[in-house]
Amino acid sequence: MEQDSNAQTATPSKVIGVATQRIDAPLKTTGTAVYTSDHHLPGMVYAWPVTATISRGTILSVDASEAQSMPGVLAVYTHKNIGPLYRTPPTVGFSMRQQEHRPPLENLEVYYYGQYVAVAVAQTMEQARAAAEAIKVTYQPETPNVATKLLGTPLTTPGMHPGSHRGDAAAAFAQAPVKHDAVYSSPAETHNPIELHATVADYRDGKYTLYETSQAVVNHRDVMAAVLGVPPGNVRVITRFLGSGFGGKLWPWPHSALAAACSHNLQRPVKLVISRSMMFESVGHRPAIEQQIQLGAETNGKLTAIVQNYVNHTSMIDDYAEGCGEATPLLYSCANLKITSGLARRNVGTPTAMRGPGAVPGLWALESAMDELAWQLKMDPVQLRLLNEPAVDESNGKPFSSRHLKECLTVGAEKFGWSQRKPAIGSMKNAQGATLGWGVAACSWGAMRSDAETMVELLANGRARVTCGTQDIGGGTYTIFAQLVSHETGLPLNKIDVALGDTKLPPGPVSGGSWTTATVIPAVLQATQNAVRSLLMLAASSPDGYFAGSHAADMEMSDGFVQPKGQPAKRVAFGEILGRANVKAVFGNAKSEGTLGRETKYSFHSFGAHFVEITWQPEIARLRVSRVVTVIDAGRMINPRPARNQIEGAIVMGVGMAMLEDTQYDPRSGAPINANLADYLLPVNADCPKIDVTFLDYPDYHLDALGARGVGEIGLAGVAPAIAGAVYHATGIRVRSLPIRIEDLLAAPQTASA
Amino acid sequence: MSKDEKEEPKPSAPGRGLSRRAFLTRAGAATVAGTAATLAGPMVIAEAQKAPEAAAAEENSIPGLVPVTLQVNGKTHKLRVDPRATVLDTLRETLHLTGTKKGCDHGQCGACTIHVNGRRVNSCLLLATMQQGKAITTIEGLGTPEAMHPVQAAFAEHDAFQCGYCTSGQMMSAAAMLHEPWGERDEDVQEALSGNICRCGAYPNIIAAVQSCRRKAMA
Repeated sequence: MEQDSNAQTATPSKVIGVATQRIDAPLKTTGTAVYTSDHHLPGMVYAWPVTATISRGTILSVDASEAQSMPGVLAVYTHKNIGPLYRTPPTVGFSMRQQEHRPPLENLEVYYYGQYVAVAVAQTMEQARAAAEAIKVTYQPETPNVATKLLGTPLTTPGMHPGSHRGDAAAAFAQAPVKHDAVYSSPAETHNPIELHATVADYRDGKYTLYETSQAVVNHRDVMAAVLGVPPGNVRVITRFLGSGFGGKLWPWPHSALAAACSHNLQRPVKLVISRSMMFESVGHRPAIEQQIQLGAETNGKLTAIVQNYVNHTSMIDDYAEGCGEATPLLYSCANLKITSGLARRNVGTPTAMRGPGAVPGLWALESAMDELAWQLKMDPVQLRLLNEPAVDESNGKPFSSRHLKECLTVGAEKFGWSQRKPAIGSMKNAQGATLGWGVAACSWGAMRSDAETMVELLANGRARVTCGTQDIGGGTYTIFAQLVSHETGLPLNKIDVALGDTKLPPGPVSGGSWTTATVIPAVLQATQNAVRSLLMLAASSPDGYFAGSHAADMEMSDGFVQPKGQPAKRVAFGEILGRANVKAVFGNAKSEGTLGRETKYSFHSFGAHFVEITWQPEIARLRVSRVVTVIDAGRMINPRPARNQIEGAIVMGVGMAMLEDTQYDPRSGAPINANLADYLLPVNADCPKIDVTFLDYPDYHLDALGARGVGEIGLAGVAPAIAGAVYHATGIRVRSLPIRIEDLLAAPQTASA
Repeated sequence: MSKDEKEEPKPSAPGRGLSRRAFLTRAGAATVAGTAATLAGPMVIAEAQKAPEAAAAEENSIPGLVPVTLQVNGKTHKLRVDPRATVLDTLRETLHLTGTKKGCDHGQCGACTIHVNGRRVNSCLLLATMQQGKAITTIEGLGTPEAMHPVQAAFAEHDAFQCGYCTSGQMMSAAAMLHEPWGERDEDVQEALSGNICRCGAYPNIIAAVQSCRRKAMA
């Protein structure tokens, strides 16, 4: 099988690929891990923003007279007195990323509900909030447009933008003996990490220290330097721990500039923590999307045409393109394919990347359509996918670096018990008599590396220290760094310190795109090797040293000791070598170049398959996801424990996407009216199905030396269409508009059950 | 580079003397103490922030505060707080017990869960002035990295978190649940802990951690 020709088994290691307890577990389980809003600086005061209560119009007046006389209030800032805040310049390459380009309080125009129109600063949080609420703003409102109908509505461009294409998709679809043509929609989804976005800004002597909720401290520094009009060296950004982000904390949002400006103006540290309702307004969301999918096939199931036309909403002031065609051109073999897309402006906050941007909503549509095609063909949906497996990435002709989608499908089917599936709708029951529905979907997510720099120190106290300006947002990055250094030095994990999340450290990658692990592997391995090389040279060259007269080339570091090669009896603890030589530390630096934005020989993608069982009780209109079996082909897992946790968590998020989550905009005011966690439903513990995750664990050595690809996002892709397929199998109702609601299913036949 | 990274901006503006609390905070933010901790020291700030009395002088200069006496983790704290201050904000902003987290301020997410007189409550829904004379326990009172409560040890062992932000609330709920009349099934744990949202979705591991504690408690 072509698939297995590039399969390689993982090289053995004491720490790589071994399920390892996170090194930050003792901090996270005792409340001692310090998150952004936990910082408390001397003389710190509190800022609370005032947000627009219209979504389109003009500010007529801001009356802060009452607020300014309230106890503890230090300042109220509006567009008149906030001071200069600049727009970021266009930049080349992957830097200076910002989603909402308009600086806060730039002028009197209001483009979305919740836009900042003023900010109050006071000595306590309560005083600041009361002052903000006492500021009277009057508006000249205009009628907003927050319509969820997108396809066929006016776009930002004269026509649809062409994307990937091959063959003649329109002609092939017209001639196809079997056709499927439908529109799939998904609503605006809000990231809603439980940690609120926050900035603690400390301006002094012309420099800013910004404690941020950031998935990308280096980019945040560069953007904020541009916005504040100072050199990047005058801004330091720190994110030691992040209460997750899911993309919402990748790029800076306007509150960061507000906090920094307040600190600058008052010459005091300022804490600004946004409220949960603001989390729905001004820190991004996955946009509402409508997608038309046309599939043409032979009667035997072979695809002959794939057409995807989609429109996502964006804000009035920024262009955010969701990229729903990301996985479409490479998932299946099909000679004729065409993707087009467009943006439609609405009076909403600027959207941004949310976990699996593009591929997750794109596969919601494509994989739902594949399921519908299978029903039309009277084919098993697993078989339909196996039948259309491509030999290469047909979008560019490149070979896949490592692709095992067929094995994901066959292993998943086996573990799930798919062979027991009875195709007839509503025909399967559980022991209690409830109706079961089974569904399946494939998933894919791109793999890549960005540039990274790291430094490794081996210290005279016998410890190692590795530093990098990347972040651990919950994926286990702290532990990965320690594992990598341990892998190269043999030091136990508890002798390795890891410092991340600070722009004073060597510049590291964003925590996004599922590429953090693959990105840092080459740099950490190389930096560690360089440090070890320096250590061995020191051992050989110190006249009074343990190994005076030896050659570095004849020595090695093993289990944290230095020894002549293969002679553990003569080993010396590396710290003693430094101590005797009166050297505090040996250093290793390394910089690795990524694949991102560069031409590559291979098509790098991860793959997977989800098998879902839903339980439907029509008598009480109760729909539950009861069981999920997932198989993931994402290269080698450096630390399988948090990797599994991430896939499981993504499946839980997929339950939310499929059945709960929907940011609803009031057509009158443009307000996200369910802007709280009781009305915007997130999956809770009781919503969590039984989950069985399998990693195929084929290392992808074309991407990095350890074969890791990354698992942050792929687990979410495909969950919603698998659930929708299972719902159809149980009820005969095809839901093409997320989330799937009980109301959608009330027309389902009331099959008798015990 | 290493030296540079350890440099912290020094307070220089008049009237911004370096209090003990400030010093500790900055020292904690800056460098590594040679401890057994496997994470570099920058993260270990919360310990250093536990010097609230030093903030008293600062608070005396703030208008509109009222005196309250709170019993937190077995210690009596005489404080001045904003009369509108919740227990959550008082713990975090006045006592600098920042292990208790804010996720919604509406009692909807459970991140701020603490114990009051032994029962689990959302501290964002309680006013500090109304909790005088009651025994408040926070995550810092449940256990420490050196002496963990069994629930904390189980959460660490079972990887029952990802980002860790909701985790204090999850564990405070779980610790209280151990003494509540629930059934033995996984589904009982799921129901009992559904007031604590984990957006990372670490629910399977949370269930495993809590069940391991319950089994050990029964053994």
